[in-house]
Amino acid sequence: MSTIKAVIVEDEKPARDLVKNYLESVPEVEIIGEFDNGFDGLKAINELLPDVIFLDVQMPKLSGFEMLEVLDHKPEVIFTTAYDQYAINAFEQNAVDYLLKPFSKDRFVEAIDKLKEKLTKKQEPSSIDRIKQHFADSEEKIHRVVIKKSGRIHVISTEKINFFEAQDDYVMVYTNEGKYLKQQTMKYFEKHLDPEQFVRVHRSYIANVSCIERIEPYEKSNFILILKDGNKVPVSRGGMQLLKESLDF
Amino acid sequence: MFWFFLEFPLIQIISDAIISNLCFAFLGLLAWYPTRYIPFQRHTPVYSTLAHLVAGLLVLGTWVLVIYVLLSSIFNSDESYIQFLNSTLAWRTILGGLIYLILVLIYYLVSNSQKLQERMQQEERLKNLVRDTELNLLKSQINPHFLFNSLNSISSLTMTNPSEARDMIIRLSDFLRYSLKHRENEYVPLKEELGRMKDYLAIEKIRFGEKLLYEFDIDGSCQEFPVPTMIFQPLFENAIRHSVYESIEPVQIKFSCVSNEGSMKAIILNDYDPDVPTRKGTGVGLQNVRQRIDLAYQGKGSVQWTGEEGVFTVTIVIPRIFV
Repeated sequence: MSTIKAVIVEDEKPARDLVKNYLESVPEVEIIGEFDNGFDGLKAINELLPDVIFLDVQMPKLSGFEMLEVLDHKPEVIFTTAYDQYAINAFEQNAVDYLLKPFSKDRFVEAIDKLKEKLTKKQEPSSIDRIKQHFADSEEKIHRVVIKKSGRIHVISTEKINFFEAQDDYVMVYTNEGKYLKQQTMKYFEKHLDPEQFVRVHRSYIANVSCIERIEPYEKSNFILILKDGNKVPVSRGGMQLLKESLDF
Repeated sequence: MFWFFLEFPLIQIISDAIISNLCFAFLGLLAWYPTRYIPFQRHTPVYSTLAHLVAGLLVLGTWVLVIYVLLSSIFNSDESYIQFLNSTLAWRTILGGLIYLILVLIYYLVSNSQKLQERMQQEERLKNLVRDTELNLLKSQINPHFLFNSLNSISSLTMTNPSEARDMIIRLSDFLRYSLKHRENEYVPLKEELGRMKDYLAIEKIRFGEKLLYEFDIDGSCQEFPVPTMIFQPLFENAIRHSVYESIEPVQIKFSCVSNEGSMKAIILNDYDPDVPTRKGTGVGLQNVRQRIDLAYQGKGSVQWTGEEGVFTVTIVIPRIFV
């Protein structure tokens, strides 16, 4: 078996040192890069094409999960995490392994053994796709959206999103700063956005209720939203009902 | 009294009974008001008794007057009935008085049992509030993320720098021991509280290195100032969670304090990124600190916070207590 190329993405230096130290006695794994944040990690992973990432979940600006969401290259993942009830469920079923900090060397070697086994029989879909699917199936709410636009990663807080518009297999995300195309379904956003703030006003539109300037009648029995940013969003009859419930009028 | 009735036609007996009882029933209802507005607990017994006597005489007088006028005007053609009515007036008054007394007692019983129930419900609510507050305080003490990540750092240091690992274990122990003390809700000199906060920051510093910078500027007069234990912990934890945990750039935390005879004023500043989305639950720690200060100093202390131009500022004023 050829060497396994690994990348460490972890914001705390002692935690990186620990993984490196444990790996010293595993000659078949070679560290080709270590990064203290998700942005650098993301860029490097797409360039260096490692076989595995040792990934911390809680990191500033771009969490481990969010980084996986926008990766082009999809290596295997071994998560390292201190405490995260929800996430553990996702790892258990879909990642190669997850290590709860602090972890012993024996436990670490066990994870490496699982990795070797996994690499010999590549499965489809990749573990990253399965983790994403797991999240999509869950009821977990999102507070920010990660989007890649012309090679740059934008992490957008949902509070700053005015509305979403369906565009074939994509969703266009509108903010005051501009619009961003995200490969995702409307159903996904409808499910994972905070229902207090976002309402599916139309088959093709989800609006941020705090961005509504006014609601005007439009054609026969339909309505249209005039947003604070000046954009107009059509409202279907069902959408109007949901808006009434949400805004209580 | 009964055989008198036998001398009269049935219709008279029944009308007399119906009119007397209906009038009494209506006036009896009125007896509710004196019991409601003359609660025994709030006035002297003499006042309450007098008030009831007046109310009772009023009700009774009205009742006797009303039935006398009604009955005598209905049956004014019947001499013997009028005579009967006149002779039984005293009896009716005494009987009415007794029934009135019983009614008042029953009303008191009902209103007291209602009050008791209300009080029990209120007590239950209060108990829940206290328990929630305690729970929140306990929760705010040690964040499991902090604990497990610190242990992981120590685990790493045992290989790279054993003496620093030992130092960190001691700091962590001191900090944990101090946080357990918190339950006793006692006061400590500021220097002791800050000593443990420095342990906490030193532990986080090992995890985050140059990303975490902090400095203390403490007026000499503050050193012995008594403060509630762990009162600053949620503030430092907030500063770390919302800035260091969410930042790639170095973050500065500054603590300063001054004091005079009557009170101490402490200010905690930290850099933060205003673009980082605020998560739900933000502000719980600050609210807890404010609640504790309010409870401990009966509104004489204060906790205020603002976030402007990337700097978050918490100002806390603690009155001096003499222990």
